[in-house]
Amino acid sequence: MRILVLSKSVPDLVEELALDEDSGELLHDDMTYVPSEWDDHALEEALLLKDEVGAEVTVLAVDTGDVDNMLFTALAKGADHAVKLTGDFDLATSNRKRAQAIANYLRDNPFDLVLSGVQAIDDIDGQIPAMVAGLLEWPHASVVTEVSIQGDQIHFRQEYGGGLQAELAAQTPLVLGIQAARKPPRYASVAKVRQMMKSSTVDEVDASADAVPELEIRRFFKPVAAGHAEMIEGEPDEVADRIITILKERKLVRG
Amino acid sequence: MALRYVLMAATVVLFVVAGAIFVGRFWTIYQVMKKSRSTIRTDQIGKRLISTIEQVFAHKRMLKVRYSGVLHLFIFSGFVVLLIDVVGSIGQIFSPGFSIGPILGMIVDIWVGLVLIGVAMAVYQRAVIKPERYHGSDETDGYIILSMITCIVIGIVVHESFYPYAAGPIFGIKSVALSPMEFLAYGLSRIWLSLGWTGPTAASIGYVVGYTMDILMIWVFLAYLPYSKHLHVFLAVPNIFVRKMSPHGELVVPPVPEEGIAIRSFRDLSWKDVLDLYTCTECGRCQAVCPAHAAGQPLSPKMVILELREALKKELSGEPPIPLAGGVVTQEELWACTTCGACMEACPVFIEHVPKIVGMRAALLEDGEIDKTAQKVLVGWDRQGNSFGQPLKKRPGWTKGLEVPIKDARKEPVDWLWFVGDFASYDPRIQDLTRIVARLLQRADVDFGILYEGESNSGNDALRIGEFGLFEALAQKNLEKLQEAEYNMIFTTDPHSLNALKNEYGKYGFHRPVKHYTEAFLDLIDQGKFQLKPLGIRATYHDPCYLGRWNRIFDAPRELMKRVGVDLVEMPRHGENSFCCGAGGGRIWMEEVGIKERPADQRIREALTLEGVTHFVVACPKDVAMFSAAVASTGNEGRLKVVDMAELLAEAAGLGVPDTLVVAR
Repeated sequence: MRILVLSKSVPDLVEELALDEDSGELLHDDMTYVPSEWDDHALEEALLLKDEVGAEVTVLAVDTGDVDNMLFTALAKGADHAVKLTGDFDLATSNRKRAQAIANYLRDNPFDLVLSGVQAIDDIDGQIPAMVAGLLEWPHASVVTEVSIQGDQIHFRQEYGGGLQAELAAQTPLVLGIQAARKPPRYASVAKVRQMMKSSTVDEVDASADAVPELEIRRFFKPVAAGHAEMIEGEPDEVADRIITILKERKLVRG
Repeated sequence: MALRYVLMAATVVLFVVAGAIFVGRFWTIYQVMKKSRSTIRTDQIGKRLISTIEQVFAHKRMLKVRYSGVLHLFIFSGFVVLLIDVVGSIGQIFSPGFSIGPILGMIVDIWVGLVLIGVAMAVYQRAVIKPERYHGSDETDGYIILSMITCIVIGIVVHESFYPYAAGPIFGIKSVALSPMEFLAYGLSRIWLSLGWTGPTAASIGYVVGYTMDILMIWVFLAYLPYSKHLHVFLAVPNIFVRKMSPHGELVVPPVPEEGIAIRSFRDLSWKDVLDLYTCTECGRCQAVCPAHAAGQPLSPKMVILELREALKKELSGEPPIPLAGGVVTQEELWACTTCGACMEACPVFIEHVPKIVGMRAALLEDGEIDKTAQKVLVGWDRQGNSFGQPLKKRPGWTKGLEVPIKDARKEPVDWLWFVGDFASYDPRIQDLTRIVARLLQRADVDFGILYEGESNSGNDALRIGEFGLFEALAQKNLEKLQEAEYNMIFTTDPHSLNALKNEYGKYGFHRPVKHYTEAFLDLIDQGKFQLKPLGIRATYHDPCYLGRWNRIFDAPRELMKRVGVDLVEMPRHGENSFCCGAGGGRIWMEEVGIKERPADQRIREALTLEGVTHFVVACPKDVAMFSAAVASTGNEGRLKVVDMAELLAEAAGLGVPDTLVVAR
């Protein structure tokens, strides 16, 4: 079983998003990028499968700049190979273009199972796993948990509204968008990542792709506050009175 | 006469056999030590010698537990006396007429008495007092050894008491008189006389029985010891001599930096770690002081050592090795440790528990196994340099509430460089305190500055979680900034940062003066920088582990409290015996699984036993958080108030203290 895990880096939301309010452009170079949390879960699920049945795990990233650290971290966690798709890519590259490059790579390099985070926080033009599956005309499922390999079939779960769950099966090759791994993603120690940087390599594969249909982003902007909260100040009794008045005004209490 | 040759032969044969077993055992241990990691333990010879003498002959640590210490001193000193007896008794056999003389004879008899008293006390302790610290120890082994010792010392007196009557039949010398100075043997010999057991046969039997109980039992003892926990008889002294010396607060120096500190197999232990395993006497003093154990968690420092020793024995007997981290010692045990160091402080033979535990944590961590909340903290340190998951930019956010801006030590030289730390910078409950410290410094006209966004977490706790690589990365970040800045002294309110700056950064060539704020403020008071009005409150003080135990700063906080007019009442556990708040070693971020009563809650209860104490004084930002929560969760908000040293000083100096923090007047 050969598993490919797709990973991408996204802006670290701990820091503030860098936005040029005038031009409406995101200032990608002013932001810190971290591995997408969902992709971490996809990798964990793949590594659990590897622990269980001995799959070979390859982790892939589109070279949008500094992705090496992310790939070496995946190797430190236990992935067998790391691949970087090089070409005309940067942090602003659309998911559509990334999906095209990944699909092209998958045509030349056969894998049985492709796992990816179900989404990322910057999925402006749709989710990558669905697009990859569509381009390859492979079966695909989204919001997946608990993947297992049963003979020549892949079993997995999906959860729906109303608490309904389904257990599904599919033949390989298959693309799955992982919602959450069975266990929280494992930790990669700094020393181990450093050791990987010394002892292993990231395979660079040229993935220059033809033009793809894309969305045009006209502008980014922060949500405009529609109203403000009123702070009620004063002695507790006054505050209480004021609250009662408001509740009465809005007909939220009787009497 | 033939009997003498039989005794001679038995003495020699048994000695050779026992000696061979003894040497064989030590050879095995030596082989394990040889394969383990190196560590330098022969520096500071003078200090080592003095410390060894203090600990061995004056029983300094042993006497911390009075009853056990006294009984051990009796038995231990008996071993010295035993040597006199061995010379005397064997001399008697091999060279008829040989005598150690009445004075040495009397000394032997006195110590026979003392040893017997010691043994009786030990039996009473094991059978009646039953201290909890013995739980998990091999008690049978304890009784076997006590029986052997009893047998030997009784044997000493018995064969000596028959000597006057057996001298003729066995040694062919005319009757010898015992000096009444050898009072025990003399008294017994009078009894034999009255019983009429002085004939050649009776006397010979009596002598042989006594000699067998004494000398032959000593050889059996010699063969048995190396396989029992009483190996400490031989290993304690060397183990104390090769103890960890300063810098005390430095956790561990990886022998080969690239190898890291992970302990997976016995080869990853240092030779001192191996020696520790065989030196442990299972006394359980470490268990008795361990906060994790007291909280009901599955950790006992003693059991960690015993589990490792047992596993090593099995491995040496040819069984397949089991991974140490998570196998021999469970994950739950390893993550429960607060690295407070109370175990190491209590150990009479200077076993180093904490570095072993952290080393095994490092192994777990390399396999990706760690508490998930703590994992987030590690990631936060790696990405933003703080444990709060907050942007780096917000690190100096607390300075916004100040009237006078603080100098940026990255841009201009300062006299004092303030290393603020994560909690003091980010925790909203503690930021008020941080601003008080700033105002105090401003009031005292100190030329000081901070590194603003240039400061990262010191890495002290990352290292103790087992993340050596992350510690190094954080240290390098800080060192880069510290090297660029110009300053005369670093000071910090955070004992954890203090420990890293003082003891852990030394391996990267950093050796600048570092002071805790209690020390620094004491200097300022002595220079007359504050007009102080006595507070007149009765308080107790909690020694933070990384200030007290690991850095031996006990006096400055106490002196400071005296200067601001605080009537200090000590808790039973204070100074080097302080009881951890439960936050150290990364515990503050980990889930509280299996905790029956939090260490911080226990500590508050301890403080509440002190009469008239209204304030609980701390000198560590983490302690402010831990103990405020503990006072609230134990429902003692009305009775005890947690205050930081800086608040006391600010109040005494007449500085406005925010209402939320104000010391009760």
